[in-house]
Amino acid sequence: MADEDVQQTLEDLSRELRESKARLEEAQRIAQVGHYYWNLIENRVIWSDELYRIYGLSPQKGPIDMAICREMIHPEDRDFVFRSAEEALHSEARPDIEHRVVRPDGEVRTVHALGSVKRDATGRPYEMFGTVQDITDRKRGEDVLKRTQFYLREGERIAHIGSWAFNESGHYWSDELYKIYGLDPQNGAPTVEQYLNLIHPEERASMAETIKLMQEQHCGHDLIERIVRPDGQLRFVRAVAVPVVEHGVFKGFIGTTMDVTEQELLTQELRREQAYLAEAQSLAHIGSWACNLITREIFHSSDENARLYGFDPSQGAIPFDDFYNTILVEDERALRVQLENAIRAGADYDVEFRIRRTDGAIRFMRGIGHHDAAQKFGEYVGITVDITERKRAEEEHEKLRQLEADLAHINRVNTMGELAAALAHEIKQPIAASITSANACFRWLAHDPPDLERARAAAARIEQDGNRAADIIDRLRSFYKRGLPPKREIVDVKEMIREMSALFRTEAVRHSIQIHSELHEDRPRVLADRVQLQQVFMNLMLNAIEAMKDSGGELQISSRLTPDSHLIISISDTGVGLPLEDGEKIFDAFHTTKSQGTGMGLAITRSIVEAHGGRVWATANAEAGATFHFTLPAKGEANA
Amino acid sequence: MKSAAVPTVFIVDDDRGMRQSIQDLVESVGLRAESFATGGEFLKRKPTNDPSCLVLDVRLPQMSGLDFQRQLAETGMQIPIIFITAHGDIPMSVRALKSGAVEFLTKPFRDQDLLDAIQEALQRDRATQEQQAEIHDLQERYGTLTAREQQVMALVVSGMLNKQIASEIGASEATVKVHRGNVMHKMKAGSVVDLVRMADKLKHSPRK
Repeated sequence: MADEDVQQTLEDLSRELRESKARLEEAQRIAQVGHYYWNLIENRVIWSDELYRIYGLSPQKGPIDMAICREMIHPEDRDFVFRSAEEALHSEARPDIEHRVVRPDGEVRTVHALGSVKRDATGRPYEMFGTVQDITDRKRGEDVLKRTQFYLREGERIAHIGSWAFNESGHYWSDELYKIYGLDPQNGAPTVEQYLNLIHPEERASMAETIKLMQEQHCGHDLIERIVRPDGQLRFVRAVAVPVVEHGVFKGFIGTTMDVTEQELLTQELRREQAYLAEAQSLAHIGSWACNLITREIFHSSDENARLYGFDPSQGAIPFDDFYNTILVEDERALRVQLENAIRAGADYDVEFRIRRTDGAIRFMRGIGHHDAAQKFGEYVGITVDITERKRAEEEHEKLRQLEADLAHINRVNTMGELAAALAHEIKQPIAASITSANACFRWLAHDPPDLERARAAAARIEQDGNRAADIIDRLRSFYKRGLPPKREIVDVKEMIREMSALFRTEAVRHSIQIHSELHEDRPRVLADRVQLQQVFMNLMLNAIEAMKDSGGELQISSRLTPDSHLIISISDTGVGLPLEDGEKIFDAFHTTKSQGTGMGLAITRSIVEAHGGRVWATANAEAGATFHFTLPAKGEANA
Repeated sequence: MKSAAVPTVFIVDDDRGMRQSIQDLVESVGLRAESFATGGEFLKRKPTNDPSCLVLDVRLPQMSGLDFQRQLAETGMQIPIIFITAHGDIPMSVRALKSGAVEFLTKPFRDQDLLDAIQEALQRDRATQEQQAEIHDLQERYGTLTAREQQVMALVVSGMLNKQIASEIGASEATVKVHRGNVMHKMKAGSVVDLVRMADKLKHSPRK
């Protein structure tokens, strides 16, 4: 080989080497990879230019001071780095570590250092060669990614949302998605067939159809499906799939799947509750609603609420005015006033009103509205109840009460009639006997000669029978004194007046009579025969009512206590008043000013009152009518 | 003589004053009177054959006068009744009169009304008693007839001729004539018409 050739070859080689070295340096700069030689025999370290740059130093020739090198490694990583190097020298392991470097300007860089130990024939290490790559930027990206992935994973876990992607590079499932379906991530994403096996048998066919549409027509979907996990648990999931199209080219699908079991069960529970509520409302004829009475907006109206008014709930929302217009005109004004007052005061209300239902029936309704301070002005929630049946029952009850009052009246008249008849019979006997005896007496006297003996005997019988008649009258007058065994108990007069007023209320209303009571003592009590005292009230109150039958008026019952512990009860009317002649006569038996009277009422009243140690009298009112007073010895509060 | 019998007025009234005064009134016109407080007491008394009547109070303690009237009728005791009452009504008086009462008086009554009623009642009773005495007499006479004679009497009364009777009972006409003579004699009948009247009364009287 010629020298020129050798020279040429050397030059070529040298150039190639230079070029090669330049390319290497260029490559190192681009890749941010530096390298070093560590002569272990001489403990000399040579750095490449790039390595200097990575460490933030200017490249220099010759070996670098190990102390400087050591100094620049992040203090927390320092021991670890040299320990790794130490270990590499004593083992077969190649050092492969990441550590941080603190540049002279304070910037921290992360590097990836790889090393290789060279050994002589005896196995003694004599050199370590390694590369150092600045991976700071990659590291930062990785951190961000890690953080993002962490957040995503956490988010998915918390929200029970899994995500997936399906494209040419494969089928990706997030961890949470595996968890939702109860699958092991180790086994990878399921195949379509495996996936369909997880779907509830009842929905499997339709899901298969959905997947077919995804594959063939790239359709997305958003549906709730039931799945049965491998452990047998039934779950509801909401699956959303969105096709990914880039520049008009279909790339695949991404999607999310959310476990909505709890929501779904809640929803079902809610639906069930609503059904129960609707059923309960329907049974109880209670409708519920929420509305703004001012803006006439309805926020809620239950089906039963519509039905109560005769509307068909299936016909959709019914406007406020449609409801309102069913209210009877005669009730509407009063109702409106009540509602307006409630709205103004921000108060609850409880009203009754009548409606003409769409089928024409008149129904009684009760509306209860509640306003919460948190709500807007005029906003109410409430219920409406059909109380027609209750109202009818009340009317029935009222009729019954009227009947009772009538009965009491009839009873009284009957009792009086019977008493009068019995009395007439009783008194007629001695009177008839006297008349007959008188006739006999005349006949004895007419004998010739007159039979004086027999005539005298007849006259004696006349006297006897006359006295007998008087005795009967006396017996009657003292009937209550002697006739009945005393049955005395503590009687609450106030309560009795209330009872008697209630008994006569209907009859009083029928004759436009108002009953008032004005009782001064809290609890006036007397020792009396309850039934007899009731009869006294009954007689006097009936008399008062009868006195005002044609004119109407006021029946006033008052009571007061006298200093000598007598309770005076006064029953006053504004009726026709007393007969002008002597007032005492009205208490006599058979004295009556009424065409249908028996004349016994006041006589009996007097008997009873006197038997109780009281008095009864009547006074004429200044304006109109009469007042009957009676006294009873009062029992002190001690008996309370 | 029947007219010599003293008529008796019975009085039943629970009111002592009432029955005493009525008794006195009745006695003042010369009639006999007996009074009782109850119907039971009256029934215990031995029945009289003399003309009598009963003044009866409608309202009695144990049994009403109207019920007592029915009880008397059921036991066959025929006594005219005058009702008196302190408290009568029209339906009650109608019922009483329909059941055969002589009069229905309301207390107090005019004495003459009661005495008139008593006279009428006694008259009625007398007539009834005479009728009963006559029937009793006829029954006694009828009892003296033989069976054959009773048979002949029945056929005579039915209007048959002797010849027809003979053929009916299978005897000669002469025999029938003898029987017929005996019947007329024993019954003290003056004529066939008389006999028919007697047969009629017998037929309507209660059998003894």
